[in-house]
Amino acid sequence: MHPDLDPQRSGLARLLRELPESAAAPYGYREFEQRALARAHQEHGHAGGRRLAVAAVLFLAALAVLLRLNGTPHTAPHGLGAAEVRGAPGLDPEDAPAPSAGTAERWLASLPSEPAMVRVGTRAAVMGLEDRIAQVDDLLTATGDAGSAPERLRALQQERSRLVGTLVQVRYAQTLANASP
Amino acid sequence: MSKSPWFGFCGTAAIAGLVLVSLAGAAVPVAAPPVPPVPVAPSAPTQAEIDKRLQAAQKQLEQAANEVARLSTQLSDTMLSEVMPLVGPHVIIGVQLEKAADHTGARVREVSPGGPAAEAGIRVDDVIVAVNGTELKGENPPHQLSSILHGVKPDTPLSVRVLRQGKPLDFKVTARGGPGLFGPGHDMDFNVALPELPEMFVNRPLRDMELATLTPRLGSYFGSDKGVLVVRAPADGTLRLEDGDVILAIDGREPKSGSHATRILSSYQSGERVTLRIIRQHKALDLETTIPERSARHETRYLSPEAGTRATQVVFGNDEA
Repeated sequence: MHPDLDPQRSGLARLLRELPESAAAPYGYREFEQRALARAHQEHGHAGGRRLAVAAVLFLAALAVLLRLNGTPHTAPHGLGAAEVRGAPGLDPEDAPAPSAGTAERWLASLPSEPAMVRVGTRAAVMGLEDRIAQVDDLLTATGDAGSAPERLRALQQERSRLVGTLVQVRYAQTLANASP
Repeated sequence: MSKSPWFGFCGTAAIAGLVLVSLAGAAVPVAAPPVPPVPVAPSAPTQAEIDKRLQAAQKQLEQAANEVARLSTQLSDTMLSEVMPLVGPHVIIGVQLEKAADHTGARVREVSPGGPAAEAGIRVDDVIVAVNGTELKGENPPHQLSSILHGVKPDTPLSVRVLRQGKPLDFKVTARGGPGLFGPGHDMDFNVALPELPEMFVNRPLRDMELATLTPRLGSYFGSDKGVLVVRAPADGTLRLEDGDVILAIDGREPKSGSHATRILSSYQSGERVTLRIIRQHKALDLETTIPERSARHETRYLSPEAGTRATQVVFGNDEA
């Protein structure tokens, strides 16, 4: 026996003795379940974060579109020319039309006043609405200067907003209906 | 001790096997459900069929929009019938007015979309300073303008002078018949309160008629430099019009556009006689015709401005919806 090996053998024996009696066993099914659950939670958290990020981006995009629609004149569908229509200063805050009303009227103003082709039934339907809005506007002038009750003025103003909203719906539907595929 | 790892391995393998079996449970053919018969896929529609369906859907969309317009207009009847007696009959110009800050006239607060003022080019913030030569310099210029409108007949062009950013501009605003001014003969004393879309335009026979405003270049093909081209005449011969006719005048009133022709026609009552001056195949003709009947159950509402009461006249016709 080589004498030099003795110290190594004793050191090796010491290391071996310090080892645990058995190596850590592979984790059991219960631990597998726990780890799988933990992993799922982690992945869920990442997915939730991704969804949150997507929602935030969508919200910002919608906000940008909204600001653009409310803040600047825009071009109507099918490349129709844009028209600038200003707001209605001078109204009491309560009587002021909603911001979307300005957008709606901008879009209406951007439509051609006289389409190249007029379908009589369609045009008559639109004219009926337009005349009614004009009637309400003239009534607002006439009753406003006669010192009419504020509730009546407010009701007329709301009626005007409703009619303008309908006019937008109708003209948009007609635009879609007349669009070539 | 020496068997422990082996049992551990076997146990783990058994559990793993159970897990795999349970996960693959759906694939284990324990009791296979009866296989439903595979539906025979319908043959794909042709391009022509799709196009036909699309056109039908677009037509439905348009008709629905027209119905929405009609019903929405009717919805405001009640409110307006309450306010109308306070104002009385007058023509419509389609603006909301208020006193200008410096008492120079009537400031335009709102312009009605598609209204007479909008068509003439008047805008929000314009200050109306004169109408038909009468200056609006009184204590209450909007009231002054309303008073002027009470004496104006429908379709009368009004000379309106405005200040736009301090600069004077002149416009021609054609007043429309408003409450109290529509009706047979367009009599100023007639008590019809709320003009309503005639049924004959909502349904047949005039609904599908198509008109185009003639341009000089287009008019050269039809022998006229003005008028309204009938692109599609009513299918059942209503008004005796034919495709390609050019309407020059309706009872002497010259339509300036398809919309204007529609407006003139809509001012007639069912059964009224009307003379159409037309060009057909380069020859001028006068057509004596009758405004078609409306559908049954069509109601025309009347209002007495004095009493604020309303009566209903039901006009029966032979038109089908």
